[in-house]
Amino acid sequence: MSAKNKRHKEIIKKIQTLMKEISNDVLIGKKMPALEISKIGYDNTFWSEKKKMLTLGDKKVIVSPNSTKKIPTFSQYLVMANAIRKLVDEEMESTIRGMYYATLSTVGDEKNKEKFWRSQEDSDDAIKAVELMTGIPREEFSVTSKPKGMISGPITLNVGGDIIDCSLGSRATSQLIPTNISDVEIVDVKADLVMVVEKDTVLNNIRKSGFIQKYNAILMTGSGEPDRATRMMVKTLNEKWKKPVVIFADADPWGLGIALRYKIGSESLSYDSDRLVAPNVKVLGMMFSDIYDYNIPEVARLSVTAEDINRANDMKKKPWLQGKQWQKELNLFLKKKEKCELDAFFKHGFKYLAEQYLPKKLREAGVI
Amino acid sequence: MKINSKLELRYKKKDSGNISHPTLHNNPKIKYNKKAESEFFVDNSALAGFTGERILYMALRELIENSLDSCEVHHILPNISVSIRQIDIENDLWTISCQDNGVGINSEKVPVAVCSFLTSGKYVEKQQRGLFGVGLKMIAAFSTKDTDKPIKVWSKSIDEEIEYYYELRTDITTNKPIVLNKKTVTKTENVIKYKHGFKIVATLRARLSHITKNKIYDYISQTSIVNPYSELVFENDDGKIIFKRRTDIMPEPAKEVLPHPADMDLQTLKKAILNFSNQKISIQNVLSSSFQKLSLEKAREIIRISEIGNKSANLFSESDLIKVVNVCKQMKFQSPHTDHLSPIGEKILTTGMMAEYVIVNNKDQVKSVNPSEDGHNQNVRILKPSLTSYSSRSIVINNRPTIIECGIAYGGDINSFKLYRFANKIPLLYDEGSDVAREVVSEVGINKMGITKKEAKEQFANNQNNKSDRAVELLPLHIFFHICSTKIPYKSAGKESIASEGEMKKYMKFCLSDLYRRVSAQIRRDLKIKDDENRLKLYKYYIPLIVDAVSDSIKVDRNRLSELFIEIAEKHVKKEIIPTAISSKDNGETNVRKKQMMSAREKNSKTENKNTMVKEEDLPQNLSKKVLRNKKIEKLTLDDFNRR
Repeated sequence: MSAKNKRHKEIIKKIQTLMKEISNDVLIGKKMPALEISKIGYDNTFWSEKKKMLTLGDKKVIVSPNSTKKIPTFSQYLVMANAIRKLVDEEMESTIRGMYYATLSTVGDEKNKEKFWRSQEDSDDAIKAVELMTGIPREEFSVTSKPKGMISGPITLNVGGDIIDCSLGSRATSQLIPTNISDVEIVDVKADLVMVVEKDTVLNNIRKSGFIQKYNAILMTGSGEPDRATRMMVKTLNEKWKKPVVIFADADPWGLGIALRYKIGSESLSYDSDRLVAPNVKVLGMMFSDIYDYNIPEVARLSVTAEDINRANDMKKKPWLQGKQWQKELNLFLKKKEKCELDAFFKHGFKYLAEQYLPKKLREAGVI
Repeated sequence: MKINSKLELRYKKKDSGNISHPTLHNNPKIKYNKKAESEFFVDNSALAGFTGERILYMALRELIENSLDSCEVHHILPNISVSIRQIDIENDLWTISCQDNGVGINSEKVPVAVCSFLTSGKYVEKQQRGLFGVGLKMIAAFSTKDTDKPIKVWSKSIDEEIEYYYELRTDITTNKPIVLNKKTVTKTENVIKYKHGFKIVATLRARLSHITKNKIYDYISQTSIVNPYSELVFENDDGKIIFKRRTDIMPEPAKEVLPHPADMDLQTLKKAILNFSNQKISIQNVLSSSFQKLSLEKAREIIRISEIGNKSANLFSESDLIKVVNVCKQMKFQSPHTDHLSPIGEKILTTGMMAEYVIVNNKDQVKSVNPSEDGHNQNVRILKPSLTSYSSRSIVINNRPTIIECGIAYGGDINSFKLYRFANKIPLLYDEGSDVAREVVSEVGINKMGITKKEAKEQFANNQNNKSDRAVELLPLHIFFHICSTKIPYKSAGKESIASEGEMKKYMKFCLSDLYRRVSAQIRRDLKIKDDENRLKLYKYYIPLIVDAVSDSIKVDRNRLSELFIEIAEKHVKKEIIPTAISSKDNGETNVRKKQMMSAREKNSKTENKNTMVKEEDLPQNLSKKVLRNKKIEKLTLDDFNRR
């Protein structure tokens, strides 16, 4: 616990330094205070060939209360920073929604009353800004989001002091991956491989078939877009515990995007890639070619939207998808204009996915 | 034989009629009766706008317009007083009266001028408010139709200088006046106090709804805007309102002009020749002296091209004359004169715009601070805008010269948007939605004023309850359009909205764009002030939050921080140079690359960011944090400001 307290002191110190700088600007510099914050988003995200992941560029945003628009933003950032300092100081924990409520207020006088936050989005942005200003991810402030990642299989976690064996009950249920990662520790991993699937429905099917026991595998899902805790868990398993990680998502540009979230990162969180991205994980499926190689019947294929096509065309240009295999897959998609969900294998029988398709893919990849 | 066969036919018809249409037996022939003009107009009163609830409004309008015309024709500064009073609520009877100091009507002509339809001194080619000689007669006919009261008229014409009194009614079936009483008024009993003038009192049966009553108010106040040289007194059961004369300048009266040859048709040409019927005169002379922009030389050319030979003008056949007309239609002439038009003019319209009279009903404002002295519950309020501007164009539409005048009044007492439309100095109050001016206003972008829709919405949206999403309607702006022409392209017989004909809309847009540009500086300044006010307000609201956050986290003199911060904010708003801790490009984004990049940028970029990296911390992981201090920043920020 003492290490944790030390980290907490560090966080508080950083926020206090920030506040000191603001007050110095005003009291000593006699000038408008300003915060310089790294810009986040697609136009400040770059592909690092060396790290094989998306990284943050050098663009900065200045937030200073010098315009009608920025006055509220500036104070929102500082109010949030102070709230986070308090949270850490009190050794408490909160979700991002909790932070929104904790800082709710109105500004203005009786005539012109306005909400301090227009919506939770504003307060989420402010939390992100504090992360960027302090260089500390919000999980370390004990600000978390609702967990949605799931894990099942031969792995033992220490969650807030209690030992949880995720292989227990693994034929019937999965464990939620806690989002307050500072309270989670991996105690032991007995698995030979980690398999991540896009959706919990697919995970349930695979789990039920006895896949975990048969292949001594850990099953995980991010339930769509993975949260940070899930991604960090994948990274830790892959890099610290040296377990091979394979990823299966739907055969459409959206699913491929989700699979790549684990492997190369995302634009919105590119500032945190070093903590979140596991470049060595393998995206094994579902490939567009699998639709035809495994004879998915036409009724189970879905027709594409214009957005899918745009996305695929975009992806074709991405440096991380320049491999021959990926180009082939994307070209096939653009030619056939068909997509498919993993669930489509159920058309071949409820056990087909877990007992035929996945083992075959894993063998081809040399994982089993 | 022919007659016989016709007879036979009639008999047959009669026979068959006997069987199936017994009535036909009694009326075998259709009667072709001449209907008196008066009867026609009474039956079709909608043609003149006298419908249902609008009767009083139309009557008042006609009387005021007649009076204004009557004054302007002789360049007399108008003094007009009108009144409408309800005399019998049960039977909806009203007395309407109007008195002016115009030229009056010659005593002999009074009965026909008041009662006989289509008798008018206004059938000439020049701009006037009234044109048809219907309005006054309509009042007389309706009074005769619905009441047993005579129309009372006092007239002291400019050429007689004796006041005559008449009691009249209209014989609707014959379109002839009935004179019940006629007498001269002795000096001691004079009703008309001016050297000349006209007064009429009529009784009408009519209803007056709240809406129409407001239209009457609108009509009078708008009339006073474009006629600020007239003194208008309006009286009704709610009280008396005086619209004071604000200038002695009057617009040049319209002059009569000859028709333009491109506008010629067979009828006008025949009429022109008829004017010279007792003289032997060549057709060339007739042409050159009956039409404008047509020299004798040009007339010869016309005759040569039309190949009709040379004889005395009255000897040509219709087929020859139509050739002349056709040649004229093809030929190019100089643009027509505009002497017959009487625009309001910059000075007068500006005077009107600078002091807009608005009728205020004290009923609506129960706690009125200034109840009018005589205890009546209505009053006028004078709106003074902070600036006005005027623009006009003369154009030719379908061979008729047309003058477009546009005015704009902005800010000051004006707190909402309003579009005013006038045609030949008459306010148009109905059907705004279908008027060309409406289209023009929605099509000319407010970016011509140098402001964006967004700015307009942000700065003006809360000032009023205007739900319109048209940005211009959020501005405190009054737009005035005045079209003058001898023939206004009205959209319908009601004469309440104007259609776009030819290039009219295009030029109206030019005028409005012009004005937008001219007021742009002022509006931008106002926006700036509003923005500054908003910003000060924001500082007032948000600085305490910032100070709280800071003083909560670290030990700091709370009061001093707050005071200094507010001081800096105020200076910042007043545009006194306050450096920002980190200077930035206008878009608030800097692109601070690592050192090797920076040196490259220094060469080709003017940005001041090169000096901003005074303190940089290497942070754990690749998250970065930079709250930067800059010691050399002041000078750079100064440059920054100058550039802006």
